[in-house]
Amino acid sequence: MRLPYLASGPLVWLTTMAITTVLLVASSKALWLVVPFLLAIILYYMLYPVVRRLVLSGVNRETAALLVAAGVTILAVAVMVPLLPWLAAQSLAGEETMYRYLAGGRTLIDRTLETLEAQFSFLRRLNFHAEMGKMAADFGDNFLQKKIGETLLKAAAWLPSLLLAPFFAFFLLRDGRVFVDALASGVPNAFFERTIYMFHRVDATARNYFQGLLKLTVIDTVVLTIGLWLVGVPTAPVLALIAALLAWIPVVGSVIGCVLVMLIAATEFPTDPWIVYATVGVFAFARLLDNFFFIPLTVGRSIQMHPLPVVLMVFIGGTVAGVPGLILALPLAGVVSAVVGTVGGIVQDPRLRARHAYAKALQKERVSVDFGL
Amino acid sequence: MLGFLQRRRAESPRIAQIRQLGLFATLGPKELRVIDSLLYERRYLKGEVVFDDGDEGQALYVVLSGRVMVCKEINTVTTVVAEIPAGALFGELALLDGAPRTAQVRAAEDCVLAALSRADFGNLLETHARIASKIALQLARDLGHKLTARFVTAESRPL
Repeated sequence: MRLPYLASGPLVWLTTMAITTVLLVASSKALWLVVPFLLAIILYYMLYPVVRRLVLSGVNRETAALLVAAGVTILAVAVMVPLLPWLAAQSLAGEETMYRYLAGGRTLIDRTLETLEAQFSFLRRLNFHAEMGKMAADFGDNFLQKKIGETLLKAAAWLPSLLLAPFFAFFLLRDGRVFVDALASGVPNAFFERTIYMFHRVDATARNYFQGLLKLTVIDTVVLTIGLWLVGVPTAPVLALIAALLAWIPVVGSVIGCVLVMLIAATEFPTDPWIVYATVGVFAFARLLDNFFFIPLTVGRSIQMHPLPVVLMVFIGGTVAGVPGLILALPLAGVVSAVVGTVGGIVQDPRLRARHAYAKALQKERVSVDFGL
Repeated sequence: MLGFLQRRRAESPRIAQIRQLGLFATLGPKELRVIDSLLYERRYLKGEVVFDDGDEGQALYVVLSGRVMVCKEINTVTTVVAEIPAGALFGELALLDGAPRTAQVRAAEDCVLAALSRADFGNLLETHARIASKIALQLARDLGHKLTARFVTAESRPL
């Protein structure tokens, strides 16, 4: 009776979490490289089916990768060129627009607190409006405004490195299998089958996660567009897409998306707070749909780990590597879990180790036959 | 339509080699190229174990050169029950049902094997169904031949 293929248990969890944390810390030191690589992986999983189709139709892999990369570049340029004047205007007015929306948010908080004080006398006695209003103002002036400036600066510094993403994606599409073959060729025969199984699990984890994420983004965009359009929020499709993209950040992403749309609604409709409350309702409903239907159908079971280490990893990711850490934590933990499980399975299997030792002995005997040892 | 992109290249030696194998005999040149990109080439020394009885099978192997022997433990003695020459395949049940290996396979002499992983075959079924069905048909034929050979051996055995 052989041991299970994959090792599991608390030791494997701890090792997975420790290795993932180290990788997240390392990646936080090289975000200029990690972020484009992450985007490249997403692009790779988006474009791989097209390359595969071309290969089947008889085009060789190198040409197929080149054709797809060229097609995507032409498409991106065709989409971006008409948008450039608008984007330039938006980026110039970006900071001013954000402060306007923050002011809109403060107005909404003021009005809500006023209404609450008018309704409940104990809040009036506590001077609730003035105290909470002061806290909100402090938060807005001292924290958010500084953070917005910092975040915009960091985003601007990253933009050139994002151009690396299409290059990485192209090489993954063209040479992905070459990398796998090169890795497999370095693996001893005794561990070969375990290793190809590990490759399959790593690929399946990353593919299911990122393709699931893309499907979830499309679904969320459609649901939020319909909801926000029904509520009457302007430019619903754009806001829905931004909120759906922000939801890539586990746990906090959808909250940030909701707050963003709330601020915009509060600024655009300063006299009608019910639109803001309805916006929150739309996001809450979309979140429920996500949790009960869409996430299980898309990202769902791609990360084959217990929920406890998964949640812990999300928080550790956020702590050690910020927003990229939050996004990376889950797929990275899934991949590391596959590798640790396989290596653990090999380490715990004495027969495999004995086979490897025997193969090495055969090799040694062969290469030293003329030494008369 | 994309014919102009299909470079007329000299067939690689490995494609020429796998074309000769029964398992891939019905595949066309483009299909052989797809299969060639999925095969892992492994080299084994005489006596080295390819897989053990009871292992979870992850790949089918084709003998490109050399020979392998199939061993079974009978009454605590390991006995060679068959030898597989170059051009033949083994470990095919792993591709069909992922069942544990039913015997040990070792290299009878230095040999080169081509391995097709179960995961790649599964992907092939989804993405290149035509190629996968041709391989599956050849696998079924091969299993049929092996089964017939076993019946013939059993029938010719003296009672």
